[in-house]
Amino acid sequence: MEAAAPGEGQIHDRARDLWVVPIRHHSPACAAQLERLIAAVAPAAILVEGPCDFDPLIEAIGDPRTRAPFAVVALRETPGRQDAPAPAIRRVASYFPFCAHSPELVALHAARDRGIPARFIDLPSHARAMDADAALTEGRSLLGSEHPFTIGDYVRALARALGCRDGNEVWDHLFESRIAHPDWRAFFADTARYCAHIRAASDPASGEDDGTFAREAQMRALLAQTRAEIDGPILAVVGGFHAPALLAPPARADPPARTGAKTASRAYLVRYGMRQLDALRGYDAGLPLPGYYERLWATRTGPKNGKGRDDDTSPAALARTILTGFAAHLREAGAQGPAPEVPSVAVLVNAIEQAERLAALRGRPFALRDDILDAVRSTFVKGELARAGSPLMTEFHAWLTGTAIGDVPPSAASPPLVEAVRERARALGFTLSDGEHRTRHLDIYRKPRHRAASRLCHAMTLIGAPFAERTAGPDFRSDVALDRLHEVWRTSWSPHVEARLIALSEVADDLDEALAFVLAQSIAALPQAGRGRDARAAIELFAAACRAGLDTAPGGGTEALLALIEDAVIEDPEPASLVAALSDLLLLRRAGEALGIANPTAIDRLVATAWRRVLTLLPTLADTGEDRLDDALRALADLRGVLELARTAHDRLDGGLEKGTLDHRDFDTALERLAARPLAPLLAGAIEAFALIDGRRAPTALAARLSGELAGGYADPAERLAFLRGLIAIARELLWNVPEVLAALEGIVTGTDEDAFRALLPHLRLALMPLDPREIDRLAQRIAERLGTGSGTLTRSHAIGEDELAANLTLDHALARLLAEEGLA
Amino acid sequence: MTSRTDPIRLPAETRYAAELAALSAQDSAPRPAGWQLSPRAVRRFLLGDATLGIARKFYGDDPLVDRAIVSLMSQQGLMLVGEPGTAKSLLSELLTAAISGTSALVVQGSAGTNEDHIRYGWNYALLLAEGPSERALVPSPVLSAMRQGRIVRFEEITRCPPEVQDALISILSEKALALPELGADAVASAAPGFNIIATANLRDRGVHEMSSALKRRFNFETVHPIADPAFERELVLAQLAERLGAGGIAVTGARETAEVLVQTFSDLRCGRTTEGVALNRPDAVLSTAEAVNVLHAAALEAAYLDEGQLTGAHVARQLQGVVLKDCAEDGKRLRAYVEHIAKERAGRSAAWKAFYQSARTLRLD
Repeated sequence: MEAAAPGEGQIHDRARDLWVVPIRHHSPACAAQLERLIAAVAPAAILVEGPCDFDPLIEAIGDPRTRAPFAVVALRETPGRQDAPAPAIRRVASYFPFCAHSPELVALHAARDRGIPARFIDLPSHARAMDADAALTEGRSLLGSEHPFTIGDYVRALARALGCRDGNEVWDHLFESRIAHPDWRAFFADTARYCAHIRAASDPASGEDDGTFAREAQMRALLAQTRAEIDGPILAVVGGFHAPALLAPPARADPPARTGAKTASRAYLVRYGMRQLDALRGYDAGLPLPGYYERLWATRTGPKNGKGRDDDTSPAALARTILTGFAAHLREAGAQGPAPEVPSVAVLVNAIEQAERLAALRGRPFALRDDILDAVRSTFVKGELARAGSPLMTEFHAWLTGTAIGDVPPSAASPPLVEAVRERARALGFTLSDGEHRTRHLDIYRKPRHRAASRLCHAMTLIGAPFAERTAGPDFRSDVALDRLHEVWRTSWSPHVEARLIALSEVADDLDEALAFVLAQSIAALPQAGRGRDARAAIELFAAACRAGLDTAPGGGTEALLALIEDAVIEDPEPASLVAALSDLLLLRRAGEALGIANPTAIDRLVATAWRRVLTLLPTLADTGEDRLDDALRALADLRGVLELARTAHDRLDGGLEKGTLDHRDFDTALERLAARPLAPLLAGAIEAFALIDGRRAPTALAARLSGELAGGYADPAERLAFLRGLIAIARELLWNVPEVLAALEGIVTGTDEDAFRALLPHLRLALMPLDPREIDRLAQRIAERLGTGSGTLTRSHAIGEDELAANLTLDHALARLLAEEGLA
Repeated sequence: MTSRTDPIRLPAETRYAAELAALSAQDSAPRPAGWQLSPRAVRRFLLGDATLGIARKFYGDDPLVDRAIVSLMSQQGLMLVGEPGTAKSLLSELLTAAISGTSALVVQGSAGTNEDHIRYGWNYALLLAEGPSERALVPSPVLSAMRQGRIVRFEEITRCPPEVQDALISILSEKALALPELGADAVASAAPGFNIIATANLRDRGVHEMSSALKRRFNFETVHPIADPAFERELVLAQLAERLGAGGIAVTGARETAEVLVQTFSDLRCGRTTEGVALNRPDAVLSTAEAVNVLHAAALEAAYLDEGQLTGAHVARQLQGVVLKDCAEDGKRLRAYVEHIAKERAGRSAAWKAFYQSARTLRLD
């Protein structure tokens, strides 16, 4: 019997010819050493820790078009929470991510290249033990927890002894530093020992609770099963924490292996990004800042073109590659917008030197992640660093996270929601094969297909999938753009779109379901945003839902929204916001056709409710405090706008808003009630204006009141003009249409002495400010007519003659000369 | 009891002479030119090594020590910045003692510092008698360090006017200093091992700006206050024991009282209590060193004026002098802290109760 090579006993069970390779997820060193091990051992089968129901995906994972990073996403149905707005059954998505330097991926690729069987050996992804420690949160990781690598007394003590700041630095120091070392036996013997110590130091009771033991029993059972089926060396690639339990012989009490058949979950291969990979770290999967490890992975083969050259690919050149790469990134970012300062060459040289010397001081063969971070910290930032970090360090972290997004073959199956949306988008003529930005013009009124495309774009926007951005198009809020016939969209089918759809796959199989869910969520979120009673927010949401093509018929998805708007309207205590909501509702009603509202009567009902509520609240305007008078005035002015709008709505829509919905007589009654209360002059002016328009007040009565106010005995001259201001805010046309108003004004101007007039003038200006230039001209003309002259004589221009100009120029030159002589120029 | 002739405080190289000798004897790693110890031995000197019996001297941020040592090997100077009382000067003293064997080459920055303190001055009697000569020249600590290949400390560099600070620029980039009075070619070139550790406060009152040209010649390291209250408490207690031990004084109740003090300092420093209640941060500096001073003074009061029982009340009385230094608002902020946070905690522990009852009677505004 030949003697085992040193360290081999830690990972090799000779009796069963079983190699159990302890790895850490996403560790480039483990992946590189695993490549060496596979070349030396030449296994007959490769087993990987991962849900066994993913076996059907192994072929797609090995597809040459599959490019890391990618992930397997598993959707599993669970009963929904009672308090959730979502359906009773909800789906939970969990991810099993791969990047180029995942040992698991290296193992699967090796199996493909060697033509040997490969399989996953963990419990199925829907097993309870697989998410014992994760709540039903979005984006869980199916990779085993790596908590033990970062916490625990053993790791902490080791960090202290080695002078490392945390468990990740310990790992880098002990293992990642050996990525290019040829001795894979010693490497895995050490990882095995390290992981065994971590396991020995962890609480055995937690293994029962978090499902560790159940998973290990499954893995042991599948190992035994494979052993029975296949001759030759078997290789199992598992998280280091589990390795000791797998080398142990199968326990008698182990239940038989569970399989992925009859699965309650569905699994798909999806594109994945480095950024999402880093985010998953919150669930303790893998190493932080994957961008660093990706670059480290590229160095595994050692120097390709000789040391010290520019294209040196050895680990020793890693610090230089990364730091110059980051400097280049800063230069690029600086060219595009505000970015941290670009380091000079001297700083860069200093930083590289710093990183390498730090590595030497800490006894490492080349600069590891923390050495490079430390070097940037020391050399790039000239000044004090806040504990919370600096923009530069944040940028460096972001850059080291990376932005790479992988790819999966088009043949790979996707969750139903993704398929459904893709199919719909393709049918409507959108290009999905690349992530390019494209512009599309949609003739939404005349072409049904274009309208359908517009609805898809709106729907994607509403569910938060960044597929389309509208650059032009009608807006129900503004009159002008409503007449536009085209919408212009910029669209791009990026991985982020799919990422959002996959997240929504938890709750929806098609776009309408997704829309309903997002809408329900948005409604539930309104109170948290402090807009729970805000009718306008609800109306905005309703309009968005209409544009997205959601069914507005009774019983459709928008019914809850309409109820919400009604509640908000009924409970709104503020006349100002109510008037705004009312005007929004009328605009919505008028744009009903463009928005595709199938059921206008529901909105009519809302309009009527809001109108009644406005009238109820109108008399309370009398109680408005002095500081909020302007708001009240604005509400009254808006109300007049609403009345006008209602009138045009009657005209424009055949059989539209029912006659009498906005009953003028009720409005008059409410106004009378308001007028009967003691009012501030500002509001009194506004009410009188309404009364005159409606013919309830004679122009002479108004003029008398105005004259009285203008001549009033107020301490503050502004008070004297408040009435006029209120009048103008509601109906400025009274200035030129009703001669009596102008006469009253003229009386005050001619009847005041110079000083008093000068005191009044600024307030008069303020009162007349709402007038636009055309109206000023018109007013000037009326005044000129009253004065018996032409309006041209009212404006005087002061021209200077040629002689005067020449004299002034001479004076100017003389002054300049004088100043120059005195040295003051 | 200490003898009357012992100095109050010995320089680090004397205090830790035995440790430095032990490290030097064990040190086989390569040393940069001009260094008394290898970088790894310097690290062990600061962060401790149980096997060699070396005590830890700098707490809280080990990677910072690594970065500082490596910066001193480079062409760049080392600039330690941070709030007052975060042990910047201690760090620079320990580094120079370990690397150069002396921490005595110091320029103390102040508004009165001039270029002579950075370059050289003259012994005017000799200058008048003999004219400019090597004998008449009085080297600054910087020039001495250049000639000896040692590290010079520049304390509180931002307290010097910027034009004086800038005298360092050419020294740092050329590593040479012209001595024109001794002849056209007279230049003092720095021996290997020369470098500068500067300490600075960038936000305190009465400090100057630093020019960008000077900043570029330094690697900056920010020294933060200790973030972990439990660790800070241990540190404060250790320092208190050291100070009291030297005077032969013993008090009881130090642990509970230190807990109250450190918690108070940490809450006020962060502007947020451990329970997450927001509060107004005082402008006054509440460093660990300041906490040691307060506890020491409180302990002395307890030992000499009371029965040797240190309580929160002693600490509260000392707090007034710490907080009420330069900002009248700080008194109100401390009062708010006492009346809301301390009062709440007084119900739960005796030490907090004593602290609260005493602090309530302080005249803070």
